[in-house]
Amino acid sequence: MADSKVMTPAAETVEYDDAALQAAYQKARKKQIKKDLAQPFDPDCVLEVRHLRKCFPLKKTMFGRVTKELVAVDDVSFKLKAGETLGIVGESGCGKTTAGRAILKLHEPIAGQIIFDGKDITHLKPKQMREFRKQMQIIFQDPYSSLPPRDTVGGLLSEPVKVHKIVPNDQVKDYVLQLMDKCGLRDYYFERYPHEFSGGQRQRICIARALSVNPKLVICDEPVSALDVSIQAQIINLLKELQREMNLAYVFISHDLSVVKFISDKIGVMYLGGMMEFGTKEDIFKNPLHPYTKALFSAVPNPDPDNKMQRIALGGDIPSPANPPKGCRFHTRCPYAKEICKHVVPEYQEHEPGHFAACHLLNEK
Amino acid sequence: MAGKKNRNYLSGREIRAIAKANKKEIKRLEAYKNRVAPEEEFLSEMKDPGNILEIENLHTYFYTEQGVVKAVGGVSYNVPKHSVVGVVGESGCGKSVTSMSVMRLIAGPTGQIVEGSIRFQSNDYVLDEYGDPVRDEEGNLVVEEKVYDIAKMPINEIYRVRGKEIAMIFQEPMTSLNPIFTIGQQLDEVTLIHVPGATKEQAKEKSCEMLRLVGIIPENVYGAYPHELSGGMRQRVMIAMALAAEPRLIIADEPTTALDVTIQAQILELLQDIKNKIDGSILLITHDLGVIAEMADYVVVMYAGKVIEKGTVREIFQDPRHPYTIGLQKSKPTMELDDGTELYNIPGNVPNPVNMPSHCYFKERCNRCIHKCSGDYPGMVQVSPTHYVACHLYGEEADHG
Repeated sequence: MADSKVMTPAAETVEYDDAALQAAYQKARKKQIKKDLAQPFDPDCVLEVRHLRKCFPLKKTMFGRVTKELVAVDDVSFKLKAGETLGIVGESGCGKTTAGRAILKLHEPIAGQIIFDGKDITHLKPKQMREFRKQMQIIFQDPYSSLPPRDTVGGLLSEPVKVHKIVPNDQVKDYVLQLMDKCGLRDYYFERYPHEFSGGQRQRICIARALSVNPKLVICDEPVSALDVSIQAQIINLLKELQREMNLAYVFISHDLSVVKFISDKIGVMYLGGMMEFGTKEDIFKNPLHPYTKALFSAVPNPDPDNKMQRIALGGDIPSPANPPKGCRFHTRCPYAKEICKHVVPEYQEHEPGHFAACHLLNEK
Repeated sequence: MAGKKNRNYLSGREIRAIAKANKKEIKRLEAYKNRVAPEEEFLSEMKDPGNILEIENLHTYFYTEQGVVKAVGGVSYNVPKHSVVGVVGESGCGKSVTSMSVMRLIAGPTGQIVEGSIRFQSNDYVLDEYGDPVRDEEGNLVVEEKVYDIAKMPINEIYRVRGKEIAMIFQEPMTSLNPIFTIGQQLDEVTLIHVPGATKEQAKEKSCEMLRLVGIIPENVYGAYPHELSGGMRQRVMIAMALAAEPRLIIADEPTTALDVTIQAQILELLQDIKNKIDGSILLITHDLGVIAEMADYVVVMYAGKVIEKGTVREIFQDPRHPYTIGLQKSKPTMELDDGTELYNIPGNVPNPVNMPSHCYFKERCNRCIHKCSGDYPGMVQVSPTHYVACHLYGEEADHG
């Protein structure tokens, strides 16, 4: 403990035994997770995620035992009802995309539960997943690389309809044309190829393709980040309109806070794989609790030249997720960090009804 | 759009005709670019000595197989001394091509500067009759002020300006740094090339000074390779590299687009700080209106290869005139916006750059069209001493409304 040599006030000269704290924390956490996972499923929710964890192996021994791993998503939990939008924000590398993919089981989750429509799908095999696939869809970030270039728009949109037998084969074309109309695509685009379209139109094709199987849940992984501002607004409005019409649940992953604010009902803020704060939009934007959330909001440039924001400066860079800091993940950049933050992992607690945060500073008050 | 259904593809004959015409034109322009010319041919005069850069009626075309893409079709704007000019527009509007034209980095033979002038007030070393730089009694290099017309410069003379007087910060810091050289080697190179007679020790000293200026401890980074640094650090190194030759103008092409918001805030603060320290100008190119509002003194709004509005930052953000500028600002979701309302959006897309219409390019997407909009492309109308807009709504005849 080199830090204890520095002059500190009497109240803070507590010696921390890192190993013991770590062991105690792990034990308490395991107990908590076991208790939570045994809870009955919430019947109102389309999607319920409990203590989701996803790791990627970095180093293996000769016999395949993992010796070092990168924890991409650590202990993420939330509930989502039909017709609601959950926004997940965070900087790059915080695990928001991995979380989205793990929910769809595009990455096999390591621990936790994913409950879709009252069924636990965490440990289903790919074949068993097939019937759920048509109920959960994804829209990717880059519309330029997510459409196969050799098929026409009509072919692209008909394929999932045929595979999942949504309508009889002779009605497929009518169904697809109806869908294209809904997504703002003209009927004569049916025979065109993806390369003939601009980014915004391609994103509309991706949306149409995701919706062609009548899903209940759509994961939108940065759907507007690659688009221009004026096109971005068109796509956001389209997503909102389709949500009202089809009662869809969205998980909207984005790094753009203003877009997330516009579209979401609930917001989760992630940092280095962990959920730092979670709550309704009003909670998060009007009354942010976590210092990271506050700093993130203050860093967004304000399009008003006379109203320059008071920034909460965050020094330094995001630590590597392969080697996350001990104690609170955020303590290396936190302007209010205390001695306790360096050693003890803060508990993810409900501070107001439905408003969760993980920070030591909140417990003191 | 429905009428154009059959015009999606060009026939072989049409493509051959285009290729033939392109070849002739490219040959002429390449010969002009590679010519050997005396200095007098590209010396010029500034219209307003308060400006560092004056772009006038610049045309940059790309001769492609589909036809001539007029990426920049008659752009004019000025960068005053000691100020930040922000250029904003959507992708493909020609904002980057304009800045690349200033640096003469347009990839030939397809891309060519066809017309117009780019006048830049430069410092250059005085040379004696043998071509060596002249030094005064204390051994310092003697400099004199010259105004170059960059568009008319032969390509092998461009080293007088590029990298030395005008430096560029690129969007993607990972791809703009060379992965096989250390940061120190890449930084030293700038000084070694641009300062005549500089030794390696002088270059290292200068590089370390620049790294300190951008908030990096040189001991940790000087010997490191680019992959060892994070995105924000790399962008800081890029800025240090741009500053090493003490440029008068820095072109920052989307300097923060690839970065996270918290890192973006750091870099913007750094740029603001640097501008005051080096006493130069910044040409900031971005599509983010928020960044422009925070940084710029003057704003240029571009659409489909033309400037549609320019003015001071307050005029553009508080009193926008062009329907596109107004629409752009309304369609950006802001942190203050309350929910429930539908986001305003500009319908449609940017017109095809090969077949640009003769009328206003924004007519199809505009919600305030008047009869005159079907006529010629609107000229620049002055609405205040510093505020110009290219729209028929503000012409002399439309003033009564």
